[in-house]
Amino acid sequence: MNDKQILLIDDEETIQEVVQVGIEIEAGWQVAIASSGSEGIDLAQIHQPDAILLDVMMPDMDGISTLSRLKANVKTASIPVIFLTAKTQSTGKDQLKSLGVVDIITKPFNSVTLASQIAKILGWKM
Amino acid sequence: MEGVKQVPSQQFFFQAVFERSPEAIAIIDENHRLVEVNPAACALFGKTRKELVSNKIADWFDFSVDAEITQIQWQKVDGSSKTIEYSVVKDLLPHYHLLVLRDISKLQQAAAKKLEREHQRVKLFAEVTLKIRQSLQLEEILRTAVTEVQRILEADRVLIYQVFANGTGMPIKEAVLPDYAPIMGVEFPEEVFPEDYRQLYAKGRVIAITDVHDPAAGLADCLIEFMDEWMVQAKLVVPILQNLKSSLDSEDDYLWGLLIAHQCESSRQWTKFEMELMQQLANQIGIALSQAELLENLEGLVTERTAKLRQEISERTKVEIALRHSEEQLRLIANGLPVLIAYVDRQQHYRFNNEAYQTWLGLSPPEIHNSHLLEVHGKAEYQQIQPYIEQALRGETVNYEQDITLQDGCLHSLNVTYIPHIQEEQQIQGFFALTSDISDRKAIERMKDEFIAVVSHELRTPLTSIHSSLKILATGKLGNLSTKGQRMLQIADEQTERLVRLVNNVLDLQRIQSGKVKMNKKACKATDLMIEAVQTMQAMAQEQQVKLVVEPMRLSVWADYDYIVQTLTNLISNAIKFSPPNTTVWLSANKELPQRKRKKHRNISKIIFAVKDHGQGIPGDRLETIFERFQQVDSSDSRKKGGTGLGLAICRQIIEGHGGKIWAESCLGAGSTFYFTLPELIKSEENRDE
Repeated sequence: MNDKQILLIDDEETIQEVVQVGIEIEAGWQVAIASSGSEGIDLAQIHQPDAILLDVMMPDMDGISTLSRLKANVKTASIPVIFLTAKTQSTGKDQLKSLGVVDIITKPFNSVTLASQIAKILGWKM
Repeated sequence: MEGVKQVPSQQFFFQAVFERSPEAIAIIDENHRLVEVNPAACALFGKTRKELVSNKIADWFDFSVDAEITQIQWQKVDGSSKTIEYSVVKDLLPHYHLLVLRDISKLQQAAAKKLEREHQRVKLFAEVTLKIRQSLQLEEILRTAVTEVQRILEADRVLIYQVFANGTGMPIKEAVLPDYAPIMGVEFPEEVFPEDYRQLYAKGRVIAITDVHDPAAGLADCLIEFMDEWMVQAKLVVPILQNLKSSLDSEDDYLWGLLIAHQCESSRQWTKFEMELMQQLANQIGIALSQAELLENLEGLVTERTAKLRQEISERTKVEIALRHSEEQLRLIANGLPVLIAYVDRQQHYRFNNEAYQTWLGLSPPEIHNSHLLEVHGKAEYQQIQPYIEQALRGETVNYEQDITLQDGCLHSLNVTYIPHIQEEQQIQGFFALTSDISDRKAIERMKDEFIAVVSHELRTPLTSIHSSLKILATGKLGNLSTKGQRMLQIADEQTERLVRLVNNVLDLQRIQSGKVKMNKKACKATDLMIEAVQTMQAMAQEQQVKLVVEPMRLSVWADYDYIVQTLTNLISNAIKFSPPNTTVWLSANKELPQRKRKKHRNISKIIFAVKDHGQGIPGDRLETIFERFQQVDSSDSRKKGGTGLGLAICRQIIEGHGGKIWAESCLGAGSTFYFTLPELIKSEENRDE
């Protein structure tokens, strides 16, 4: 089960690093990094990851716009997307879910258990 | 034996009567010619027998033989006249009649004179009475009385004698002829006016003495002496009685004084008329006295009342000034306040508007006074506010927000409150309308929301990095640390978690309090909620060696699933933290025991959730405050137990957001139980849900 490839789209470099290290340590999955929505869309088309972790609040193109572009593209429409958000509680959670994401992971999260959290959401066995 | 006198013959007697009778007697024949006349008749007509006989009686005056007693006016040759009364004895002898005549001129004159005199007196008396009645001045009344009585009675001296309480008395008014000494001001010795006299006078006795020296008068010697001193020959005394109550009840009369008339020149027979006159005058004086007293009392009352009225007027004026001042202040305040203030009557007409209406809406208060709301606000706006107006006129206080473009051309957020004006018997008269501009508040709220969103993101992102980095280091997969190093790492990790919780709680609480969060209520099974929360807390419980037990119940509530799980999780977390190892935390849900409730709420039944521990317990005085922010029982708790001090405050906000309540019961040393209530799901909905 260490063959999964995850694409993380987040503008925060520290987040990129801890997610990458955390997932690799826990599950040994590969984590590709994109620092913006547009970069993420490109990488998603090229790498065809098993799942995308998408930050909601980003400059230029935010997570919601990125998601709609991903879903609009045939090549990326079927890739499951999980939102990463700093928004509290269930506020907007249902609203976000209705856009077509599988689930939402709220910051701050524990990067060491992030892989198992993703696996649980997507029904992967670890 | 004495010689027997020869009785004269009957004829002699008749002849004598005829000749000597003072009445004029004449015999007339059937033609009314005088046949015979006596000397008195001659005298009456002033003619000799010869001149009279054979003359017809009708030549002198109208004569009727049928009249019984007739008065005629006989005109003499010299122009003077006599009043003659005659009577006829018809057919004294066949063909002859008897005529008896009498001159009554003098008698008539005397009667007329007497009548005239009495009439004069009555007239004078009426004048005096009128004078007395017209005046309210006692002095004047008394002076008039003595002067007029003296004039009418032609008495030498008339005085009014006032009786004092000690039995003595003194003339206080007098009218006296210049020939006699005035007696006014001289105090009468008590012996001339003893007590028994006073009592008799008090009963209305009148004394009329023709001659004071006549023993028949029965005057005491001392009194006669006293009379002599003042040259009194005759006197007439009537009492002046005053009716104390000014009523007709004579029992209340008391002897105020005497009205006395003296005759000094000679003795005098007082006539009945004079006595009556004096009495009537005395009565008038009595009435005048009562009236004067009444007047005096009235004047006193009037003075007193006037003073009171002046005071009342002064007080009222002061109150009015204060009221005007207060009204002015209120008007200034109402006009100065940066809010719209209005009063609307039941017919929805403006009855008052402050000046802010001019500046905000461009509507001057006089312009819109008495106008209907529809007229002032236009159809579109009126339709929006109509339900609130109707609500206020039903007696409910209404509060709503409204966005409206004001005279400055900008869109403003307004907060409007209608307060019904309810008078006695629940009669709604209208309502007060208060409108404040909350645009600034709204702008601040928006800024705060934006700020929170930013803070939320900006804090959480670095926290995620720190937290994750620490967790990764703690796995040891990037190299091993010394024991001390691992301990430091553990502290950093724990404190980061605590910081994360704190940030989460602060943001949670703020969002719930601001009302931004909508409770997404749906049917939830109570047991599911408890099990979910227990599962979440299971790891922590195991770590603390505390057992979590749920008592399953087939009950459902109408609630936001996530928030209730959060609440239960929070309560379980607290219970675990304060429970000693090897104890149990019990979770239960039960129907609220049926209570006698107000009819209004009879349809709302509630489910009570309970989280019970066997911890240290909470002091009684802290049971309320622990639900406030940062109000732990012991301030060291948050450090020791890793709490944020906001958990219970959030729980309370969540439960109150569900229309429930939350509270704690505790026994120090034995444990605590936290309860909260949620509305029970109506059965039909529960079934549908299932």
